[in-house]
Amino acid sequence: MRAAQSPEAERSTRMTQAISHLDLLEAESIHIFREAAAQFRKPVLLYSIGKDSTVLLHLARKAFWPGKLPFPLLHIDTRWKFRDMIEFRDKTARDFDLDLIVHTNEDGAAKGINPIDYAPSVYTDVMKTVPLKQALDKYAFDAAFGGARRDEEASRAKERVFSFRAEGHRWDPRRQRPEMWRLLNGRLGAGETVRVFPLSNWTERDVWRYILREKLDVVPLYFAAERPTIIRNGQLLMKDDDRLTLKPGEELVNRRVRFRTLGCYPLTAAVESDAADIESVVAETLGARTSERQGRLIDHDQAGAMEKKKQEGYF
Amino acid sequence: MTAHSNALPKSKAKAAKAPLKVVSDETSTASSTAVDLSKIAPELSGMLRILTCGSVDDGKSTLIGRLLWDATDLYDDQRETIERGKKVDGGNPDFSLLMDGLVAEREQGITIDIAWRYFDTATRRFVVIDSPGHEQYTRNMASGASHADVAILLIDARHGIKKQTRRHAAILDLVGVKRVILVANKMDLVDWSESAFRKIEADFETFSWRFGFWEVTSIPAAAVSGDNVARRSETMPWYTGPTLLEHLEALPSRVTEPTGPFRFPVQTVLRDSRNDFRGLAGTVSGGSVRVGETVVDALSKRSAKVLRIATMSGDLEQASQGQAVAIQLDTDIDVARGAVLSKADARPVTARVLEARLVWLSETPYDPRGSYLLRTATDLTPVSNLKIRALLDLETLETHPADACSTNDIALADIALGRPAAIDTFGDAPETGSFMLVDAITGASIAGGVVSVAKAEAAAADENTFLLTRSMLARGLNSDLRDKAQSEAEFRRRANEVALILRAAGVNVAIESADDYSI
Repeated sequence: MRAAQSPEAERSTRMTQAISHLDLLEAESIHIFREAAAQFRKPVLLYSIGKDSTVLLHLARKAFWPGKLPFPLLHIDTRWKFRDMIEFRDKTARDFDLDLIVHTNEDGAAKGINPIDYAPSVYTDVMKTVPLKQALDKYAFDAAFGGARRDEEASRAKERVFSFRAEGHRWDPRRQRPEMWRLLNGRLGAGETVRVFPLSNWTERDVWRYILREKLDVVPLYFAAERPTIIRNGQLLMKDDDRLTLKPGEELVNRRVRFRTLGCYPLTAAVESDAADIESVVAETLGARTSERQGRLIDHDQAGAMEKKKQEGYF
Repeated sequence: MTAHSNALPKSKAKAAKAPLKVVSDETSTASSTAVDLSKIAPELSGMLRILTCGSVDDGKSTLIGRLLWDATDLYDDQRETIERGKKVDGGNPDFSLLMDGLVAEREQGITIDIAWRYFDTATRRFVVIDSPGHEQYTRNMASGASHADVAILLIDARHGIKKQTRRHAAILDLVGVKRVILVANKMDLVDWSESAFRKIEADFETFSWRFGFWEVTSIPAAAVSGDNVARRSETMPWYTGPTLLEHLEALPSRVTEPTGPFRFPVQTVLRDSRNDFRGLAGTVSGGSVRVGETVVDALSKRSAKVLRIATMSGDLEQASQGQAVAIQLDTDIDVARGAVLSKADARPVTARVLEARLVWLSETPYDPRGSYLLRTATDLTPVSNLKIRALLDLETLETHPADACSTNDIALADIALGRPAAIDTFGDAPETGSFMLVDAITGASIAGGVVSVAKAEAAAADENTFLLTRSMLARGLNSDLRDKAQSEAEFRRRANEVALILRAAGVNVAIESADDYSI
């Protein structure tokens, strides 16, 4: 190859050089991962098995390649996740030789707190928020990576990349630090911990584009298939096991459906679709006319729901 | 020891031309059932971060809302919300609702806030950074502007350039925004008058020349009706320049022009014992570097050749500004986090004394006896002395001597560091010439700063400064650290903590540098 270019030639190369926005986003996320791993004593990656977590994990592996991930993964298992999700989680941990921690609020599970009989806000608090705090405290993690994006919801549009939590994991607006340039200040005050969001500047479409580009495996539930479903409160729900019982008037029907987001199966609405492979899903998503959170029942529970959950420590 | 194999076959020519697109370039040839990415999910060819400055009264939310409505990929539920909402002037929808969301945060008492929005046109990602523009929000605007590639300065055509405009321009300049778009809005309310527009343009020039802007573009517009936003105005035939959208799509994308000298702040060291790999992980913050070139660590003055530029998607021949890579050197020169690699002929300063401009972000005012740390790209250095010299009046652009500083102030400051750090002036290399001032006790981000002068020598020898040396700590706290090469980073870390405690007790402390030690 040529040794050195003239300044003019070099300049023209630079001007025409095409750098896609995904390359820029990827580089930024890798930078955030490395910065957090270097600044915090004991970080953990919150792994929720869905597409955002898949991208998050892939970026983490890139950030520390060819080394091993310098932190474990934590999955908060409510015991109500789709069976396909759990299978995918365990296979991922095996394939990439990951250190996976699974934590459940055993007390809540013993009391039978479930997403069918309890209000979403109660269920989320007992089976998601509480065990997350339990696990962070038990292992003394001072930083937790999450897949939240600023485009998800209005209250997240202002979220920082390093989001600070006071003692008790409380999100206190006054503790949030201004972030300037690419500088990330992770020096913790007494009792503070931090949530780190490497996907802050990604959109839902970017996540799918990237999964396609990097040929990443995702949970099969994202692809259309015949699945046993019922209609409840105007939403399509999949009957993943016998714990979801039919109410009078409800009928179990096999429909060709897929999911735009994944969570606890009684709280996750399906959409009717024929998109059975990654290409069709991406094509359908890129052409989608409604934002993804319409399919997440938890957000419709009460006005300003997400804001309130965040203050309580929900991710 | 230096042998290695590449994970992916590489094309040198391709790497040189488009080093960031390794995977997607190879997708089409990799398999016969390859997805036509360009059809299903075309990657956008660029990204632009746009800061909007101006108050609600100037029609800021309406302008951006209108732009998004006319030119981008809004979802149906977002469009319905707007169409169902109340109508404003002449039956137009209220486009400002698209930028809404800052109302709730005032109720929550959030003090520093920037809202981020993401929109795609056919070719480009636009990131809109929205921050309040009033005087009491200088710090919000400064932190928002520090992320921006271009700023839209919105002027109400009826009122022309105001003091606020001058203040906004000064903040943009301070944090390094190089491109400005002056939008004269509400032209319908001044009868689409060319002279009103020209006056705004000329008034801006009377003071903007003194700033370091590369480009100022003025556009007459009416956001409510969409004139010159995404649609060329028919009522202002005298204007022949671009519409706002045309201009935003034509501006260079984020990081397509590697600028300045090569800088590589080392974030962390990656190891792979199976392959005897020791790589320095980081993001190129300026210029570029190629395999085979010699790089030098500014602090230790040791140099080595770049043996390999590694990423999980394949090795690169060259790494440019904005790329996150791992650099393997041909000899182990023991650099660690905090080091800045450069080329030998254009190094950062091994600085002990800085002159800087600060935006005071904290609600806690400057405390001459406070304990501060300087967070630069990847280093955290104790500040042995922070002295406020003057405050900048953003409206007159004059400086006034001062020794106090509080929220929203722009201050000129002298900073003495407890040990040397690799630092540039902001004009030469923005990413290694900017910093956050951190409260050592609470960890809070106190001020953002840009370096105007970086000097190697310590300030006039201060007899009251206590020098913390390796030999002093070797007997007690550091008795477990033996070999120098391996323990330098740990010595620094511990010495920093000791220095903090001493400073909190009122003792001026400096920490022995690696240079001092080797002498």
